[in-house]
Amino acid sequence: MKLETRKIPESEPEMVEIRYHWITDEIQEIISFVKSRQGQLSAVRDGQRFEVPVVDLFYAESVEDRLFLYTAADSYEIRMKLYELEEMLRNQSFLRVSKSMIVNLMKITSVRPALNGRFLAVLKNGEEIIISRKYVPSLKNILKGGES
Amino acid sequence: MPGQKWKEQLIRALRLYTLLVTLITVVIMILGRLLDRDRVLSYEAFLSPLLYALIGTAATVITRSDRELSIRSLIIRKAISLLLIEGAIILIALKADTIPTEKSWVLPGLALGILAVFVLSHLILYLIDRKEAEKLNADLARYQEKQIAQSEDKDEI
Repeated sequence: MKLETRKIPESEPEMVEIRYHWITDEIQEIISFVKSRQGQLSAVRDGQRFEVPVVDLFYAESVEDRLFLYTAADSYEIRMKLYELEEMLRNQSFLRVSKSMIVNLMKITSVRPALNGRFLAVLKNGEEIIISRKYVPSLKNILKGGES
Repeated sequence: MPGQKWKEQLIRALRLYTLLVTLITVVIMILGRLLDRDRVLSYEAFLSPLLYALIGTAATVITRSDRELSIRSLIIRKAISLLLIEGAIILIALKADTIPTEKSWVLPGLALGILAVFVLSHLILYLIDRKEAEKLNADLARYQEKQIAQSEDKDEI
């Protein structure tokens, strides 16, 4: 695929144009990335494509090599790896809390202890997710204003 | 930050070890006063809590896993770790000349004592975690307020 970038005067709006023959996985990935930078993620539910606002996202979970996004009441599948999404949302209050999950810190109501040094995060929709012991230091650090 | 994660694990292990030494010393004192009041011990007796606590701390390796353990498998591993601790300490007691295992109350008393220390240590660690959770909740509230304020500032610009 040919890549072309062009410097433009500040009076013109910045834009990304994608020219394609067919929407392949590769093209879809690029579209998803650009949309995520604009605060939206392109995901699928019941065979239909939706633009999910990042701010509405509660958490994302990887299940058997498939990645699912969860909002207050719905779930969507997104064609992406968890680590890619984690990297993409790094500066948007998302944090890895277990091997298979990243969570939106803005959607956590409270945290309480679980067994063996783990914690349970109670989300604003009442769901509970496990914060693995391994990721508790990152959580403490980011809440104190550091980086994960 | 792998360094910080190791530091946290080391702190947890040391915290557990110190807690176990304290609880084991208290349990030995209570059981001794109740059941074997006239016994005179040598300075070597001070080693027992340190050794038993080391066994108790080492047994937590069983509940450590790179995989995310479900609550069920964690409880099973905890039960196995308790059985191993009971087995190891009773074995030491049977081999040691200083512990009067020939008396009928000694082995059941020892087994009950180990169970009491196991339950108490978990209860105390849970209370410590609860305190930590309270702190996390306070930090989380501050973090969320700060993020909301920052996004409002951006909107104004």
